[in-house]
Amino acid sequence: MSAAPILQVRNLRAAFRTHHFGVRRDVPAVDDISFDVRANEIYGLAGESSSGKTTLIKTIAGVIKPPLELVGGSARFAFLPDCESLAQASPAAVAAIRWSKLAYIMQGSMNVLNPVRRIGKTFEDFALRHIGSAGDFQQRVEAHLQRVRLEPSVLRSYPHELSGGMRQRVTIALATICAPDFIIADEPTTALDVIVQKDVLAMMRDIQGAMGASILFVTHDMGVHAALTDRLGIMYAGRLVEEAPTDVIFRGALHPYTRHLIASLPRIGDRSERKSLTGVPPNLANAPPGCRFHPRCPLAVDICRVQAPAMTELATQHRVACHVVTGEAA
Amino acid sequence: MTAVDDVSFSMVADAPEVLTIIGESGSGKSTLARMILGIHAPSSGRIVFEGEEVSARVARDRHAFMAKVQPIFQNPFESFNPLKKLDRYLFMTAERFGRAGRGNVERVCDEALGAVGLSLAEVRGRFPHELSGGQLQRAAIARALVSRPRLIVADEPVSMVDASLRMSIVNLFSRLKREFGLTIIYITHDLATAYHISDRLIIMRRGQIVETGEARGVLSAPKHPYSQMLKDAVLTPDSAGIFRSSVQSRL
Ligand SMILES: Nc1ncnc2c1ncn2[C@@H]1O[C@H](COP(=O)(O)OP(=O)(O)OP(=O)(O)O)[C@@H](O)[C@H]1O
Ligand SMILES: Nc1ncnc2c1ncn2[C@@H]1O[C@H](COP(=O)(O)OP(=O)(O)OP(=O)(O)O)[C@@H](O)[C@H]1O
Ligand code: SF4
Ligand SMILES: [Mg+2]
Ligand SMILES: [Mg+2]
Repeated sequence: MSAAPILQVRNLRAAFRTHHFGVRRDVPAVDDISFDVRANEIYGLAGESSSGKTTLIKTIAGVIKPPLELVGGSARFAFLPDCESLAQASPAAVAAIRWSKLAYIMQGSMNVLNPVRRIGKTFEDFALRHIGSAGDFQQRVEAHLQRVRLEPSVLRSYPHELSGGMRQRVTIALATICAPDFIIADEPTTALDVIVQKDVLAMMRDIQGAMGASILFVTHDMGVHAALTDRLGIMYAGRLVEEAPTDVIFRGALHPYTRHLIASLPRIGDRSERKSLTGVPPNLANAPPGCRFHPRCPLAVDICRVQAPAMTELATQHRVACHVVTGEAA
Repeated sequence: MTAVDDVSFSMVADAPEVLTIIGESGSGKSTLARMILGIHAPSSGRIVFEGEEVSARVARDRHAFMAKVQPIFQNPFESFNPLKKLDRYLFMTAERFGRAGRGNVERVCDEALGAVGLSLAEVRGRFPHELSGGQLQRAAIARALVSRPRLIVADEPVSMVDASLRMSIVNLFSRLKREFGLTIIYITHDLATAYHISDRLIIMRRGQIVETGEARGVLSAPKHPYSQMLKDAVLTPDSAGIFRSSVQSRL
């Protein structure tokens, strides 16, 4: 039995459409992706750099502007059941749920803080209308900052006066203070030392648990995924290639790319060489046909070069897109 | 306010090394990097590069200094001018600092991009926002390589790339050290890559060095309580579910 999804993504496609000297170039960064995020779960997304993770969550969050275009499919939130995707919703509808229902912490978001506004003012701009009276607002904000290990004095600072990690914590505090139902976080803790990171992640887990919220969490840090996420989706070249409960991905990944990713993780105390993949990451403007991993895959067979493998449920809760693994290549 | 307080270390020109700086967020690592790069002057104390104080050296010949000491910054979105196409930017760097001569500019850039898993074909005509975070960071590393520097100050250069690429970039640092005698100051929060490639390690907290020494020795058996806390807080694939709520068990 599984809990009802709060987000249903179905056959979602999005592409960057650019024109160079009259030649149209399509970068299909999100290619036919389907998955659910359930109520009360943390769904992790990992994958190769430039595999389309940021584009996928931008499409889901409806933060789409040219040259990025929605090509097809849907991404439906339970709190907006009539809306096929935020990418098509009116700006007013999106604004109405921003922060209170849906918070989006963007990649590199430490730079989205308004450079000429003190942090305290930014909190007022975003959160004052959603929470409490002006009277205890200051106190609420300070208490919340405390949870990400920041002193109240940061409220008087301008963004450039804070370190990268401090700014990152400010954006996390901004995104979580209104206790939204759904949090989308793209590499939110990259600039934090491991001690602060652990505290901040525990805080996000707390808020998520207490509010019964859901989080879609993107990071390259597989240790973070292991510790935090309930299920994990792995992306390669614009496609979801594997999905399973997090511990299954770590103990028994099936897709050749996922297996490589797990094997490449460095560890303290282990100096053995890590093998890198042969070849270069695919250029999505000119993606390989068939399975996009085939030029670098140690298991590739003929069919891989011509036919894209479909996501197939091989065991309960475990989906994989690979001809060889699903036995279709035999 | 004092961001960096009484920090001392030195690096020897004939003994290229990877010196890693790890530490608390806000402990002054980036400030230290900016001082080594001559962007900020220290309020007291000295930073000496090739026998000359950095601030004097920069004042004398900024261009020659920059060709020898190259930065890679924490946030790739900050390191490029958003209005300038990436290939132009790389070509300009190659023309200004390159030893290759004008005719070779494209080849030099393509080689530097190749070293980080990109190609000129891929970045040609594109603005910084048209690349993913990891691609942009790799382009920033390529840009730093173009001038064939002696010292690279890399401030969290791999925090935005996947584990596999992360290893290939830090291995690239080791290779540059071995093959070209390049010295690298590697600032990171990633103790595992630090373990793999560093010769020496500095651990900072609140502007001060709390522990320093041979990297694998320090990371295997940290002595200072803060270093021990850091090591204990590292999340690994074995950290399975340490924050996980009861969701899983209810499914
Ligand atoms: N504005 C744009 N125009 C054209 N292509 C783009 C644009 N923005 C991103 N892309 C391309 O889309 C692909 C997916 O990028 P995206 O940022 O979604 O990757 P990502 O998985 O988030 O990577 P990372 O882990 O490095 O952040 C990349 O190949 C990137 O070069
Ligand atoms: N322009 C500035 N004005 C005032 N204080 C500053 C300024 N820049 C940095 N600081 C302060 O200096 C301290 C050190 O910052 P620095 O960016 O060097 O830290 P860091 O070790 O690189 O941290 P992180 O790991 O989060 O990147 C911080 O407390 C920060 O608030
Ligand atoms: S479908 Fe073929 S090329 Fe793709 S991952 Fe599976 S074996 Fe490799
Ligand atoms: Mg991204
Ligand atoms: Mg820093």
